[in-house]
Amino acid sequence: MSVKIQFFARFRELLGTDIIVEEGKNQTLAALVKSTAQKNREGYDAIFDGQGKFHEFVILMRNGKRIDLSDAQKTPVVNGDDIAVFPPVAGG
Amino acid sequence: MLSTRELDRYKRQILLFGEEGQEKLKKAQIFIAGAGGLGSPISFYLAVAGVGTIIIVDKDVVELTNLNRQILHNDGDIGRTKTVSAEEKLTAINPDITIRAIDTTIDETNVKRLVGSSDGIVDAMDNFPTRYLLNETAVKKKIPLFHGAIRGLYGQATTIIPRTTPCLRCIFPNAPPREVFPVVGVTPGFIGMIQATEVLKYLLHDGRLLTNRLFLWDGLEAHADEIIVERNPACPVCGKGKTETTVRKNK
Repeated sequence: MSVKIQFFARFRELLGTDIIVEEGKNQTLAALVKSTAQKNREGYDAIFDGQGKFHEFVILMRNGKRIDLSDAQKTPVVNGDDIAVFPPVAGG
Repeated sequence: MLSTRELDRYKRQILLFGEEGQEKLKKAQIFIAGAGGLGSPISFYLAVAGVGTIIIVDKDVVELTNLNRQILHNDGDIGRTKTVSAEEKLTAINPDITIRAIDTTIDETNVKRLVGSSDGIVDAMDNFPTRYLLNETAVKKKIPLFHGAIRGLYGQATTIIPRTTPCLRCIFPNAPPREVFPVVGVTPGFIGMIQATEVLKYLLHDGRLLTNRLFLWDGLEAHADEIIVERNPACPVCGKGKTETTVRKNK
């Protein structure tokens, strides 16, 4: 299975972008993002809290469709999926 | 009617929009929330384009640390209110329009009155709580909200048309944490120009608006992305339940 994960903004600085993940089947969206983010501690902490849950402001997209953070644990990823993970920016 | 002077001032853009378009701009009133990094370039360009009435609101005094990005203000303005500085600069670059600069904090008690009968709200804020307030006001008044936000070399923008497109809460249900954000002037300059272009297009009924799409800019990569955004039926601000309640109340 091959899935593309795109990180944006601060997440991109810490984790890189257009990451192609070759993983076994039966992965959930939450697990896939978590295992990909784990390569950089700061990057992981930017996306997940101490309990391993997504920070509530994180935005997740799968194939251009918004996925609720609460659904990420039960959303399967399949071969060819495009995943986007980004933080809103707040400055002006 | 446009004066001879206005016909000359706007000559090069009348080639684009026609006199009729220029009249539309002249009749328009735009509310700009913030006279900082985003508000500076937005107000500059809406003023020179001839948007007839610009209301610009800010609560702050100009500080030296603002000057790397807030191009409405200069060294001599340090210690003056941003609104006094803004009114002076904007009137100087276009005395043919009306500038109303209001020195206050936008909050739930005054936002409706401040926005008044404006044709649109430009989000040039630096925090999400006030953005949410502007969003609610835009939804209630059924006027567009031109959203923009930045951090470092990253930016985002979208145009919200209440009841047609997702509102700011649909797109960002939760605010990112508050911080002293890093910023270099080019980023609010760039994102502010997208917002100002959207305002002009909206007022002129021209082109395709940045609606239902979230524009994401990465200045480090010189790369722009676009994400499709959808209305959230359960949105506490513009969701179905909310709309029905409003309709019922009105009946």
